[in-house]
Amino acid sequence: MSLRSFFKGAMLVTAAAALVTFITLLGILAFIFYNFDGGRDWGVSMSKVSGALAWDGTEYAFTGEELLGDNRWAMLLDENGQVVWSLRKPADLPEQYTLTDVASFTRWYLNDYPVQCRIREDGLLVIGAPKGSVWKHDIAMDTQVLLQTPIWFMAFFLLTLGCVLLLAYWVVRRWFRQAQQVRDAARSDWINGVSHDIRTPLSMVMGYSAQMEEAEDLPAECRRQAGIIRAQSQVIRDLVNDLNLTMRLDCAMQPLRKESLQMEVFLRQTAADFLNGGMAEGFDFEMDLPKEPLPPTEGDPFLLRRAVNNLLTNCVRHNAPGSAICLGARAENNLLILWVEGGTAAGGLRTDFYQPLEQDGGAAHGTGLRLVEQIAAAHGGSANFFAGETVRCEICLPITDSGKRTGFSAFHRHS
Amino acid sequence: MAYRILIVDDEKALQDMVTEILTHGGYETDSALSCAQAIKQFHTGNPHAVLLDVNLPDGDGFSLFGQFREIRDVPVLFLSARDGDADRLQGLGLGADDYITKPFLPQELLLRLRSVLRRVYREEPDTSRLGDVEIDWGKSTVRRNGEETALTAKEFTLLKKLWEARGNIATIDALCAALWDGPLVGYENTLMVHIRRLREKIEADPSRPKHLLTVRGLGYRLRREGAK
Repeated sequence: MSLRSFFKGAMLVTAAAALVTFITLLGILAFIFYNFDGGRDWGVSMSKVSGALAWDGTEYAFTGEELLGDNRWAMLLDENGQVVWSLRKPADLPEQYTLTDVASFTRWYLNDYPVQCRIREDGLLVIGAPKGSVWKHDIAMDTQVLLQTPIWFMAFFLLTLGCVLLLAYWVVRRWFRQAQQVRDAARSDWINGVSHDIRTPLSMVMGYSAQMEEAEDLPAECRRQAGIIRAQSQVIRDLVNDLNLTMRLDCAMQPLRKESLQMEVFLRQTAADFLNGGMAEGFDFEMDLPKEPLPPTEGDPFLLRRAVNNLLTNCVRHNAPGSAICLGARAENNLLILWVEGGTAAGGLRTDFYQPLEQDGGAAHGTGLRLVEQIAAAHGGSANFFAGETVRCEICLPITDSGKRTGFSAFHRHS
Repeated sequence: MAYRILIVDDEKALQDMVTEILTHGGYETDSALSCAQAIKQFHTGNPHAVLLDVNLPDGDGFSLFGQFREIRDVPVLFLSARDGDADRLQGLGLGADDYITKPFLPQELLLRLRSVLRRVYREEPDTSRLGDVEIDWGKSTVRRNGEETALTAKEFTLLKKLWEARGNIATIDALCAALWDGPLVGYENTLMVHIRRLREKIEADPSRPKHLLTVRGLGYRLRREGAK
């Protein structure tokens, strides 16, 4: 998935989430404003009811019964809190009210009856509804807070937006990873298949050329040419192996089988196996290990062995016999540094890191060095290349040790 | 007596090549292209060892390996294009004697096969010759210029380990592991003492050794020119 698709997906999810939030908020606000309009829903206009009640000199006359509907009641209190007129007033309500009573029911309820009040010249008009029919709530707010409302609203909006973006990022990243995994698996299967299919024909090229190289009844020139074919097919084999492992490390499909390694033991065995293979015939090989024991560290012996082997092989391939090759290790700042130094090509230079393959058999130094870097990275370390009079590659590994000293036996069992 | 090897591989051309390599190497061979043929050949040919591919047309080498083991316990070397760690570990985990990945060099195949056969059929001779020195493994002695000298237990183990390396370098860690059952840090000096004493017994001039050579920083190797 490209970066563009990633952003497109993120924008899509964000827009959808923002739309849902907006519609929800709009719905809530519409509901509140529709139902909260100074008691409009009570269905009674206080001014009209008040207008329908008049003093005719002897008594109060009321002409607005239809305004109250079937279940409302009304009463008028004089300035002393005495009921001077009422209509359908419930029996459980008194005829006289104190100032405290009035102060209370104007804001809340009168004996649980929700009531509305209107001040008139001759007193206080009270209209009530049945118990439980209306919910009343008194709202009071500090003016300062009221003035800050836009800021609070904006902050809340930004917080919501942040949450939505975070959610969108998480969802899209999941999609991204799933798509990546599918693609990696397909790539891995393909490279695995190709490398598997190339191995059998390559076996025959290597096998027959090696036999021809050894055949004493063949002319020397033919044997020399057979030797070149054998050597080049080994280069192809190394390339296939490196390519396979590079891809697996790239797709995080190579499980790390870490063991606690005593690095001196590991390096000596790796070097001995390399020299026993006969590749470094005629080279001046040297080990440079500190006198003090190195701290044990955890690592995958197969991968580290591959990395060191690649560097040693590079030294041999790119230098003339007689050159010096040095393999060493040291501990420094909680790092264990393995290094290979050789004539002019311990590891090649970073500048030719991704160069195409050379005709002279330099195949392994494209994928080979990349592999070294990947193996170091898989261990949480790094690979550094230095070019001076000699070329040197350092593999820096963080020193971690679980205390289980299994490296030696396991390494020797498989080596 | 020539060892008889059963080659099981579905690729006829590769099978022919392996047959050629083994025949040149002094072995007798039988071959099978499928599991069914392999079981039949295994019964009739009584092979001393089996070279077994993993991918076969009518089954897989891992299952076939199990069937072989049920019939008779012969050494089996997997010879496969499947190079993944999981495959190698599965093959070796089942109890195979080796797992060789394709492509391979003929010499590598012969050496590995010989190593397995030597281990399984114990074809070590009682005596070996190293230049003008005769080693008697049974009596744990060395004889040079008609003079027989006994080896201590440590010297015998050391010489045996170096001999088994067949001219290759044996690291000081591997030698310490053989002598003291582990890569014991700090035992290098003691190892050097044993090496010096062994040289006194097998070298004409221990200060200029011709057989037991030091590989600086790594270990030792036994030069086996003239060895039998």
